[in-house]
Amino acid sequence: MKINCPLVTRVLTNFIREESQKAGFERNIIGLSGGLDSTVCAYLAVKAVGSPSVFGLILPYRDYDQEGVSLAEEVGRILGIKFETIDISPQIDAYFSGHPTDNHVLKGNKMARERMSILYDYSARLKAMILGTSNKTELLIGYGTIHGDMACGINPMGDLYKTQVRELGQYLKVPEKILRRKPTAGLWPDQTDEDEIGLSYEELDRILIKLVDERLTADEVIRAGLEEKKVRRVAELIRRSEYKRKMPPVAKLSERTIGHDFLYPYDWGK
Amino acid sequence: MCYLFSMKVAIAQMSPVLGRVDKNLEIHLEFIEKAVKEKADLIIFPELSLTGYSLKDLVPEVALRPETSSIMARLLTASKDIDLVFGLVEERTENPGLFYNSAAYLTGGEIAHIHRKVFLPTSGMFEEARFFARGHDFMAFPTGSNRAGLLICRDLLHYSSSYCLLAGGAGLIIAISAAPGRGITDEGSQGFESSQNWELIGKAISYFSSAYVIYCNRVGLEDGVTFAGGSFIYTPDGELCLKLPYLEAAFSIQEIDPDLIRKARKNRPYKRDDRPEVIWRSLGRLLREKDED
Repeated sequence: MKINCPLVTRVLTNFIREESQKAGFERNIIGLSGGLDSTVCAYLAVKAVGSPSVFGLILPYRDYDQEGVSLAEEVGRILGIKFETIDISPQIDAYFSGHPTDNHVLKGNKMARERMSILYDYSARLKAMILGTSNKTELLIGYGTIHGDMACGINPMGDLYKTQVRELGQYLKVPEKILRRKPTAGLWPDQTDEDEIGLSYEELDRILIKLVDERLTADEVIRAGLEEKKVRRVAELIRRSEYKRKMPPVAKLSERTIGHDFLYPYDWGK
Repeated sequence: MCYLFSMKVAIAQMSPVLGRVDKNLEIHLEFIEKAVKEKADLIIFPELSLTGYSLKDLVPEVALRPETSSIMARLLTASKDIDLVFGLVEERTENPGLFYNSAAYLTGGEIAHIHRKVFLPTSGMFEEARFFARGHDFMAFPTGSNRAGLLICRDLLHYSSSYCLLAGGAGLIIAISAAPGRGITDEGSQGFESSQNWELIGKAISYFSSAYVIYCNRVGLEDGVTFAGGSFIYTPDGELCLKLPYLEAAFSIQEIDPDLIRKARKNRPYKRDDRPEVIWRSLGRLLREKDED
């Protein structure tokens, strides 16, 4: 569970710097929510390329997460990076006024994709590589919006569990308020991830490490003493969300099909 | 090259450009020039140093035929000034369409030996056997007054490989590598946990083979994978005599003393007492029994 923070910092800052340069970007851009993941990512980015080369976008919807906005602004000020706040309410409200729904998840997904859309627009304007902030816990259980907050140019933290991101955050000295804050996707006021998922991140990570890193079966994890209902639920979340972790399948017709047997590396010639 | 007393070994812990043999040739020639200036006798590059590692469908596109390749010709010319070990994708003229993850030892304008990787990792994050043909031999060969043997990355982790080189009389076991770093939970470590496995086997093999183990690993990133660096040399007594940093590019020259091989074999006669005929018989029996299963 514990990680070697100096080593991880070194590898991830190198990853951010090198992968951005290889893709021809001189800057990095991050959506800042005032939460732990985007804050840790911003700290890493500043260590990697320096504050003048990092840009933060704060993208609130109405007053759903005012605390998040003020913490995100605080992070921007501490790190000395340029940042901008864009209220996404007009476009979200315009859409839902024509297509009303009470479904929080539908609304949250739409907001996540609007934020993605603005990040990509700014990425092109500023010639800045978008840093993804999804962690391993979220990616494994599929707790994210496909083509929304999961969309990015590169993802430095996708192999760190949430609890490990917190450990890294302590090492990087991110503000205490952010370390202590209840994780929230900001889907509605006072929403917290842990209430919505029904497990704490500590519980989730304990189960995930056994299933994924230690390669135990669900039965073996249960025999090791973890609660059956929770283990089964996590295993099922992993299974059901595989589509979020892959490019969409291409129907194979020819001898050479993208994704099947047309297999070039991402870093080709870079 | 003839090394009567000591030899200077240069290790280029570098990061090739993925899929660009032309650029990598230039990088090799720059390191070679530097090593020649510093009077090194031998320079060693990592696994697939001419091509990069994560090639996938680029494998046929970056393959060289040693007899006809102009890139090889440039390196053969360079080998008149210094011995070279480097990694390439090899296509054999006599067996076209098969591609090997190979290591070449060039000396005096000639190819002294080409080793084709025998153990191709194909599980987890690795998929080498999907793209490469398997090599079939481990062979020690003469280089000046020494005998050397080449291994490529995973070959070193199978200790049977080094045994073949010991049986063949190798005093220099040269392993070139593109080993990714994995494992971040050891808080006391400067590098990845996986680096410790390489050091452990390097030390053990050098001691029990009474041979120098020279391990050249690469650095850099490909498709999100960080290569761990941490190249090293262990003496024939299992002592660490060179250690390059983890994760970052480095170039270093180490003087090694071939007389230590003689001394180690005199003091601990594992080589003298080796019984390859017994190993051969035992393996023959195992293989026959396996056939009967």
